[in-house]
Amino acid sequence: MMRKTVQRVLGLWLLTFAVVCPQLMAQAAKPNKAPVKLKVGDVAPDFKMQYFDGHDLKDVSLGQYRDKKNVVLAFYIFAFTGG
Amino acid sequence: MKAFQQNLQKLEAADTQVLGVSMDSPFANKAFADQIGVTFPLLSDWGGDVTHRYGIYTDEYKAARRINFLIGKDGKILEEQLDREAIDPTKIVDACERKKLGR
Repeated sequence: MMRKTVQRVLGLWLLTFAVVCPQLMAQAAKPNKAPVKLKVGDVAPDFKMQYFDGHDLKDVSLGQYRDKKNVVLAFYIFAFTGG
Repeated sequence: MKAFQQNLQKLEAADTQVLGVSMDSPFANKAFADQIGVTFPLLSDWGGDVTHRYGIYTDEYKAARRINFLIGKDGKILEEQLDREAIDPTKIVDACERKKLGR
């Protein structure tokens, strides 16, 4: 009798883990897979940023490439990291 | 960024300007560019204004996500690569070359 109860409780626990664990793992595996607000076909917001060419700070805006060049904007997390 | 450097000639031949962007200072970015041999500009989004406007700031890093946008001459987004996918820019290089050939 006692043994049966123990088996049932154990079984219930195992079932709970079996359901919960894969969900937790899935969450951990994709920390930032959220979609991006800007979609293909949207107008890219204009910007003005600076870079240092070794002598001076230079301004760069998206607008300056309009009708002239395609632009790749490669956002990276931090300098001195991979990727 | 190194992967874009390796493809820089192809991209430039296809009328494409490559710009790296991070929330580091212009001077940190220049040192980083020199260290890894990148010759295209690494722009400084100091304060994160542009990162926020593009909707790609993440609390996880307190910085931008790793994302590539290909923007056409008309100012519209042609391709996006998100997170891990963004490390290999082949999709963007191919898209630029296709555009150049008018396909």
